[in-house]
Amino acid sequence: MVLELQKPRPVWQIMFSTHHTDVGYLYTITGLTFLFMAGVLAMIIRTHLFFPGQGVLISDSATFNRIFTVHGLTMLFLFALPVANGIGNILVPIMVRYKDMAYPKLNAIAFWMNPVGGALLWLGFADTTWVSYAPYSIIRAPGPAADMFIFGMKILGISSILSSINFVVTILKCKHPDLPLRRVPLFAWSMLTVSLMTIVAMPTYAAALIMMLTDRLGISGFFNPFAGGDPIAYLHLFWFTFHPEVYIFLLPAIGMMYEIIPRFSRKPLYSQASGVFAFVMLGIIGFASWGHHMYSTGMDFTTKVVFMIGTLAAVPASGMHVFNFLATMWGGRIKFAAPMKFAVGGIALFFSAGAGGVLNSAMPLDFISHGTYWVVGHMHLFLTGTIGFGFVAMVYYMFPYITGRMYSEKWANVHFIGMFWGTVQVFFTQHLLGLEGMPRRIYDYPPEFTSWTQLNQIASVGAWILGASFAVFLASLIYYSAKGKPANMDDPWGLGGKYYYPVAAKNPHGGHSGY
Amino acid sequence: MKTLIAISIITLVAVALVSQLHFAHAQLAQQTSAKQYINLRAEVWNEFFRMTTAAFTVGAIVSGTMIWLVWRFRESNPKNKSPTKWEHLEDPTSGSYEEEGH
Repeated sequence: MVLELQKPRPVWQIMFSTHHTDVGYLYTITGLTFLFMAGVLAMIIRTHLFFPGQGVLISDSATFNRIFTVHGLTMLFLFALPVANGIGNILVPIMVRYKDMAYPKLNAIAFWMNPVGGALLWLGFADTTWVSYAPYSIIRAPGPAADMFIFGMKILGISSILSSINFVVTILKCKHPDLPLRRVPLFAWSMLTVSLMTIVAMPTYAAALIMMLTDRLGISGFFNPFAGGDPIAYLHLFWFTFHPEVYIFLLPAIGMMYEIIPRFSRKPLYSQASGVFAFVMLGIIGFASWGHHMYSTGMDFTTKVVFMIGTLAAVPASGMHVFNFLATMWGGRIKFAAPMKFAVGGIALFFSAGAGGVLNSAMPLDFISHGTYWVVGHMHLFLTGTIGFGFVAMVYYMFPYITGRMYSEKWANVHFIGMFWGTVQVFFTQHLLGLEGMPRRIYDYPPEFTSWTQLNQIASVGAWILGASFAVFLASLIYYSAKGKPANMDDPWGLGGKYYYPVAAKNPHGGHSGY
Repeated sequence: MKTLIAISIITLVAVALVSQLHFAHAQLAQQTSAKQYINLRAEVWNEFFRMTTAAFTVGAIVSGTMIWLVWRFRESNPKNKSPTKWEHLEDPTSGSYEEEGH
């Protein structure tokens, strides 16, 4: 059956709606917008680093610091979190068979905090790095940029907590009584896990931000060494929140792969139980490893060993996801449409990034790689290689249901090849740059260091390929949402079977007829 | 299959942990002389190459399996023309391994 395309609703009707699918669309579109904005900053950074000692694009180090700070903040808090929340908003109430999120108005409020927080971050354009290291961020970072950063992050943090409470209550309290929690789809499980993690982790950072603000105002001296404070204490508070946050970024992407891989393999998921177990394990282990970011700060040996083992404990749980994906594909009849290509590419890069993570977690090796481009390569391989691929897979998966039209498989192929090639070229090369000793966050490097120059130029070319693939993605999203062929809503990819969740999402105000 | 998965996970953890013990022992016994500092630097790089060997070996196995899976179970593979047993269901993804006794 080919459904007739619905008459487009006025934009204001979607903007002021509190319905979960509308809020989900707003989250997703906002997140993708910020993705492209932060991507432009990434292109500027990589183009600048292509030419050593010349300052072609960026004339001074302060501007360079501002650009990479806002790039990082935007990618993490204005792209990764909103897109996860967006897809979660669209699918989670349907997956737990409830009419909406538990608190629809709170849900809309949580979304509208994002543009406000984003505006503060972009208008301030702080130079503190996304970590906002003390004491620089307290003593030297120029205002009002640093203050706008604090308020922007505060607003985004409150938004995260509100949306997390909403997800937890929706899943635990509003799910259909006939649906046991263990049978709730794994994407909803991933959202439940990250929401609980956010509720536990985020208040610590919220407290650290208030302490930082009062330090900046001179009222207190928590992190100010001149007032008897301890800058390392800030790092503990920061990483207690933001190491779990790594999993908060990652797990929704894994959950999205759990929705896509069985569908395109045309067979059931290999093990629901192991997926649930691995999510819960990662949710707990995420809090046992923050110290591995701080091995070089003078921690004692025993503490470092504890954090090292805590970090390595994530390996089996991550491995369970990978094996679950492979076992699901085994024996299937796999159709490699765009969502499946990106999901499988994401698994491959997830494993590569995880292998780098095992090396990072070993404290003797961490001393070599700490503060170098190795860390940049590792972190970006996770963020682009796994989270980026998972999210893009899900955007292609939901595209026919959101727009009523089909994207072009040919251009999606071009996007996939460019994105996979570019990701490998730029971020694997950054690992090598780290081993060559290049520190991260430096504005310039001497042209006499030929290995740095060559590797930076290889990485920059990779970044341009990656950027070009996203330009194709953007053009494809815009063009095919208006001019694409009408999609067969029952089975856009000709896989057979019923697509309960996205079909129900297509008709937000008509009830969930999929059941 | 589940036994294979369990063995693989245990191997992954063992490979990661065992390769660290040598360095941990060396660091516990460390002295401050320049000669031993150089020895420790050698230990660190030795550790790095051990762990990269472990990571690349496991990575090659998993990546190789994935590449083979993609090639073998793609729908265009001549061996894979006939529908799977799950495709006779109303929704092929709705069944479960546990219920079918796998």
